[in-house]
Amino acid sequence: MSYDHRETDIPRYLSALKRELARRADGENVRSIYFGGGTPSLVSAEYMADLMSVIRELFAVDEAAEITAEANPGTIEGEYLRAIRESGVNRLSLGVQSLNDRELALLGRIHTAAEAREAVRQAREAGFDNLSIDLMYGLPGQSLSDWQHSLEEAITMRPEHLSLYALTLEEETPMGKAVSEGCLNELNQDAAADQYELAEDLLAAGGYDHYEISNWAMGGRECRHNLTYWRNLAYLGVGVAAHSCLNGHRLANTASLDKYMVDSSGESAAGPELDEEISPELELVETAILGLRLSEGIDSDEIHHRFVIDILVYYQQQIEEMTRAGLLEQTGRRVKLTRRGRLLSNEVFWRFLPE
Amino acid sequence: MEQGLTRNFCIIAHIDHGKSTLADRLIELTGTLKPEEIGKQVMDSMELERERGITIKAKAVRLHYKANDGQIYRLNLVDTPGHVDFSYEVSRTLVACEGAVLVVDATQGIQAQTLANTYLAMEHNLEIIPVINKIDLPGSEPERVLAEIESVLGYKAQDVLLLSAKTGDGVPPLLEELIRRVPPPEGDARRPLQALIFDSRYDAYKGVIAYLRVVDGRVTKEERLRLMGQSTEIDVLEVGYFAPEPSPTGELTAGDVGYIATGLKSVEECRVGDTVTSIQGGASEPLIGYHSPKPMVFAGVYPTQAEDFGELRKAIEKLSLNDASLSYEPESSSILGHGFRCGFLGLLHLDIVRERLEREFSLSLVVTVPGVGFVITRTGGKQLNVTNPDEFPEPTEIEKIEEPWVKISVITPSSFIGALMELLMQSEGSYKHTEYMGQHQSGGKLGQRVSLEYEMPLRCMLTTFYDQIKIRSRGYASLDYELIGLHEAKLVKLDVLVNEVPVDAFSRIIMPEKAHEVGKAMVAKLKEAIPRQLFKVPIQAAIGSRVVARVDISAKRKDVLAKCYGGDITRKRKLLEKQKEGKKKMKSIGRVEVPKEAFLDVLKIG
Repeated sequence: MSYDHRETDIPRYLSALKRELARRADGENVRSIYFGGGTPSLVSAEYMADLMSVIRELFAVDEAAEITAEANPGTIEGEYLRAIRESGVNRLSLGVQSLNDRELALLGRIHTAAEAREAVRQAREAGFDNLSIDLMYGLPGQSLSDWQHSLEEAITMRPEHLSLYALTLEEETPMGKAVSEGCLNELNQDAAADQYELAEDLLAAGGYDHYEISNWAMGGRECRHNLTYWRNLAYLGVGVAAHSCLNGHRLANTASLDKYMVDSSGESAAGPELDEEISPELELVETAILGLRLSEGIDSDEIHHRFVIDILVYYQQQIEEMTRAGLLEQTGRRVKLTRRGRLLSNEVFWRFLPE
Repeated sequence: MEQGLTRNFCIIAHIDHGKSTLADRLIELTGTLKPEEIGKQVMDSMELERERGITIKAKAVRLHYKANDGQIYRLNLVDTPGHVDFSYEVSRTLVACEGAVLVVDATQGIQAQTLANTYLAMEHNLEIIPVINKIDLPGSEPERVLAEIESVLGYKAQDVLLLSAKTGDGVPPLLEELIRRVPPPEGDARRPLQALIFDSRYDAYKGVIAYLRVVDGRVTKEERLRLMGQSTEIDVLEVGYFAPEPSPTGELTAGDVGYIATGLKSVEECRVGDTVTSIQGGASEPLIGYHSPKPMVFAGVYPTQAEDFGELRKAIEKLSLNDASLSYEPESSSILGHGFRCGFLGLLHLDIVRERLEREFSLSLVVTVPGVGFVITRTGGKQLNVTNPDEFPEPTEIEKIEEPWVKISVITPSSFIGALMELLMQSEGSYKHTEYMGQHQSGGKLGQRVSLEYEMPLRCMLTTFYDQIKIRSRGYASLDYELIGLHEAKLVKLDVLVNEVPVDAFSRIIMPEKAHEVGKAMVAKLKEAIPRQLFKVPIQAAIGSRVVARVDISAKRKDVLAKCYGGDITRKRKLLEKQKEGKKKMKSIGRVEVPKEAFLDVLKIG
């Protein structure tokens, strides 16, 4: 979450963050850290370094832990990148979104394609050898060849990781309003599907491994942090609007910046604003749905080990139906989405929900 | 009351020419009710009737009038329904009267039902008193209308009264004319009882109330009487007249109009047109032959929500207690579920029943496109009556199809003749006759008024026909029709198939030449209405096994949540749950999931 015009609150916010960390830490083993939100790049490098050392004090962070920071081109400079690299951030996720100026303007981004290229160059110079780029497709007016150009250029930059997202229109955004008023034409479903399939082909040819519905990586450079989500394992989220999944509960902090800063500074440890208990059945369902997002799919033996349920029996009817429809395939004890199934994954997922 | 001092009359008119207002004025003038008691219009008590400006149920009022000769006369005013759908009811009421006041609007002049009702009254040998109403209105042209009445109906100007029912101007002389010109009822109170049931109404407390015109004999309370046509015996729980409220009295005698409370359970048991007589020493012959009015227009009536079927059944049963011409039978449809096939006298009757069901019983309904009943002769000679396209046999098994035809007269200013004749031709009408109303130029720039006579299949009147008549004549034309019998028809059943499964509710009976056009429109509408599935879905319109139109709905390609990270999981799961809920509400036709609203639109295509 980002908050406009609250830069002066940054120090106060960071204090609150540190307090929350202190309250919730128990020396656990940490294998990945992700600075997201939000616009982490607005926080100065000194603050970042400070936070990093607090984290190292409170937790047992792996030597080879993956530590990611998100950044938007146009808000960063070489100096900053070098500094955070030094403080231990070893992976950078750049919100490029597009290498087409018209599209960037449409998206309301403050950077241009040239600035995006410059940011990539600077990231490399600052020593980042694990770089991820975000791109968007399904944009109003985006032709297949526009998309192809952005993609091909992105591939030539050889990022280790790529995340490709279809545009989702939110009514409250300027673009959402423009579409509902009819000033802007939404891109139709079939054109967006074509764009996704083109990306699959181009990225495969470019040597990338399509490991999750929206994510590609060069060998071994999958985002370890996100894999935690898709494998439905535990994670701790700290900060305003942060989410956690611990001990069978999904938790979320308040989305109000002011409330967050008060809560975390109070003596009595304020609880999360949202606390959803996840029953074992729901945990199974979520594990299956999240796991299917990964190209490797779900392994019924692993699931049996974790839940003592054989999903090939539990979901037998759905698996048969979706296999017949060409959306799922089964190899041995593994079930995964087919190429067509990835694009239509919601059709598979809602069928896996409990009655 | 001496029989010679009784006069039985009705008021006949085209819709909105002022029948009800005139009735109110007569009620007021005779002191039967005070002006403030009259309310909006006494005789149209059903809310729906008032809104639509039509009378659905006939009623009778006894008026007492002190004439110029000093005597007190009993005037029985019998109200008549004013629409062609209910012409059978009009006919029965006329039998109860000796006279009719014919009301013609001073601006509109003679219209279609003016003529139809006048001819009916003449057939029943009623003494007709023509009056021109609404002379108070600024645009009225009484002289022109008078000339029209003279030339078209043959009445002399001095026999026509000019009045305004609204202001009361010219109405008192009408009462005198009624006394003078309408004969008293003949009939002898000493002869065996013969009373005609000209209407009936179900009352929750008293059972069926039969409206009677006593021709001969007398009716007293606590008698036991016989319905001749049905051979039913009834008890006279109460005898009375209408003042206009039901007023119990000792007896009704020859020449009287009133009611009896029978205690019967439904109007079906007390058929209108039947004759009431005594059990002992009763009459040997009924007064007139009667027949249950035949439904001509059929439609499927379904509840929008399947769970409301029970409510719908109760509602239709209740409505039919008072509507002997509404027929209904349970039926079911693969997509609409359980409902009823209902038979109506005409489109107006259908509209009224539908509105009453929706309004009085708070039901949300789906009504299929109305159709006529067909008589189909199969190869092999067997005949069937088909009221539902579903019942149509295969084309190869049909030897002959016959459908009801009507004679239709459209009265219009001449400037719209072209547009109307075009409509009539398109509706498969065959031209019969044109008649000019009035010898001289009238009506100003719209031209002289003309009556167009055509014959056409009733089937073609059922969808947009009425609206088109009004649209093409800017509202000036009026229309009347009468059934003339069955004609052979070259028709076919057009089926609609979704994913190769025929959907019964969409079937239509049409002319083979229109098949392609109608089929194309329907498949196009369905393509818009049905969401994409996981596989390609063909939508076809076909006659038997021959496809006349086809469109494909391509398979869905994309339905994906691109981002799904820690903070998104609960929210995304809820989105999926909503998607699942949505699917539950869909109907399944041949593996195709369709939201219910989707086919409601398609059902509306003519």
